[in-house]
Amino acid sequence: MSRAMKSLQLRHLDAGSCNGCEQELTALTSRYYDLQQYGIDLVASPRHADALVVTGPVTDTMKKPLEKVWQAVPESKWLVALGDCAAGCGVFQEAYASHGGVAKPDLVIAGCPPRPQDILDKLNQFRLGQG
Amino acid sequence: MMGTELNKRWILTNSQQRDNGSQLLALTAFQDERIVAHWLLPDGQCRENAIAVTAGAFPSLTPVLPQVSWDEREIHDLFGYIPNGHPDLRPLVRTPRWPDAFYPLRSKFEQPIPWLDVEPDNGDQRVTGEGVTIMKVGPTHAGVIESGHFVFSIMGENILHLDLHLFQNHRGVEGHLEGRRLAEVAPLVSRICGADTVSHQVNWASAVEKLAGHTIDQPLAWRRVALLESERILSHLNDLAQIPAGVGFHVAHQQALAMKEKWQRGMHSLFGHRLLFDTVGPGTAAFFDPDALGRLIHDVRRDWQSWRALVLGHHGFQDRMLGVGIVRQADAARLGAQGVVARASGLSFDARSVMPLYQEWKVKPAGEVSGDVAARFKVRLEEVETSWRLLQDVIFEVAKMPLPSFWQPPEDLAGDAVAYTESPHGLNAHVVSLKNGQVVRYHVRSGTFRNWPLLTKAVTGNAVGDFPLINKSFELCYSCSDR
Repeated sequence: MSRAMKSLQLRHLDAGSCNGCEQELTALTSRYYDLQQYGIDLVASPRHADALVVTGPVTDTMKKPLEKVWQAVPESKWLVALGDCAAGCGVFQEAYASHGGVAKPDLVIAGCPPRPQDILDKLNQFRLGQG
Repeated sequence: MMGTELNKRWILTNSQQRDNGSQLLALTAFQDERIVAHWLLPDGQCRENAIAVTAGAFPSLTPVLPQVSWDEREIHDLFGYIPNGHPDLRPLVRTPRWPDAFYPLRSKFEQPIPWLDVEPDNGDQRVTGEGVTIMKVGPTHAGVIESGHFVFSIMGENILHLDLHLFQNHRGVEGHLEGRRLAEVAPLVSRICGADTVSHQVNWASAVEKLAGHTIDQPLAWRRVALLESERILSHLNDLAQIPAGVGFHVAHQQALAMKEKWQRGMHSLFGHRLLFDTVGPGTAAFFDPDALGRLIHDVRRDWQSWRALVLGHHGFQDRMLGVGIVRQADAARLGAQGVVARASGLSFDARSVMPLYQEWKVKPAGEVSGDVAARFKVRLEEVETSWRLLQDVIFEVAKMPLPSFWQPPEDLAGDAVAYTESPHGLNAHVVSLKNGQVVRYHVRSGTFRNWPLLTKAVTGNAVGDFPLINKSFELCYSCSDR
């Protein structure tokens, strides 16, 4: 299926982040970035989402909840790894309770944490099918 | 008999320390079967008490010092040492997925870890009886928040009890730090928590400098103060933005978020990182242009003045915060509240008043007594203004100072040290043990770890609809406490 979409609804899930990525994702809702003007938004339920945005290296305790939330996102769906930890190149990949990031993301937004403008640009390119 | 005497002395000495007005920095377990309590005395000195773990157990301090309940449960989970006499040894960090006899900080284990294929949920504590409803929230949330699981027992609108199930974000940071060489530590410590990163970095740097017997010069000390205060403003602006969001006051929320963004852009151009990661290390602190910092403060303060007038002059907003989510002073003292939570409940402790870095200023702790959301909001308002005044002093002095002198720690550094700072979320302590330039043990005790149990006190008796507001007035980072 073509990925070009008028809108992109995101559900966020923290799987062991240091909250740096959360802060930068939240910044997108400020008037400096205003992600909604691009048809991109953060939604409360995975049922309403097109994509799941995961932060953190996937701690063991969050592994099952992550699987459940992913199953709750309706098809077609995409997985976004936000930040180095979720992308599998962060500093805590090898920590004993980490699973080393998400498997097979459709979009990787690298950075520790990535800057809000980068997050927005990558999401928007992805929405337009260019990512 | 000897053992019994030692046990009695352990309990007595530590409770006396508390009664003398000392602050517990950390209760730390070591692989060589020792437990050490580090205390910060009212005069700024550090004192330590130690006890040996005998036959896998040590006497619990929780009955006389309730604030260490979680510390001892964590030691039980990660080391398997049993705190004898602990009234509630339910798992805190451990989940049913952990293999039997898996004590990650006690000994080496096979990799990858054979996690059991079961749900990670531990049993919960509920109120039972007619009319009681159980409301579970998390571990995943509807907004952009860290993961944590809350089990509310409610009757009608009222919260009877909140059982916290945290540590979903437990990455294994302390275990991961073990065996690292000196140069590898700073980037990891910098990422323990995105909201208190400078505080963590300064702790690591101070611990190394202390072990090497190195005293940092004034230019370096003042740069660190600039970074610590910049971080406090950043974190407080974030929290001050979130509290109005908790009651749907979106104008105040958006304006504060915009101030935070402006401040973060300033941090990026001044120090090279929007959240101040990787700005401090042993013997170093990021270089910055004092004039540019002065201009940034001037700019953001203009927004601040009108925002401050908006929130203080809005009676509806003020009313929503009054009398909601009260932390009583007695609970705050008993459970060792830290930072804003303590200072909003009549406990006037701020580690900056004894930190050698701040000896020039004699920072006076902010003080409110009502212990409600309004008090925590006001304490943050006051602290942001104090930080701006401190920063302006720093800018003035740093501009006249030479560059800090170059220093690097010896590669074979060894010994045990404790270091602390006042993070935006309260007293933050690191206990560091090095051998031949490698980390043997690294323990992090953040202010949020102490404040979580107080959140349960603050919400009890309140309407469940006020939980977001009360929670945001604490704004506790999960990553600092889960590690």
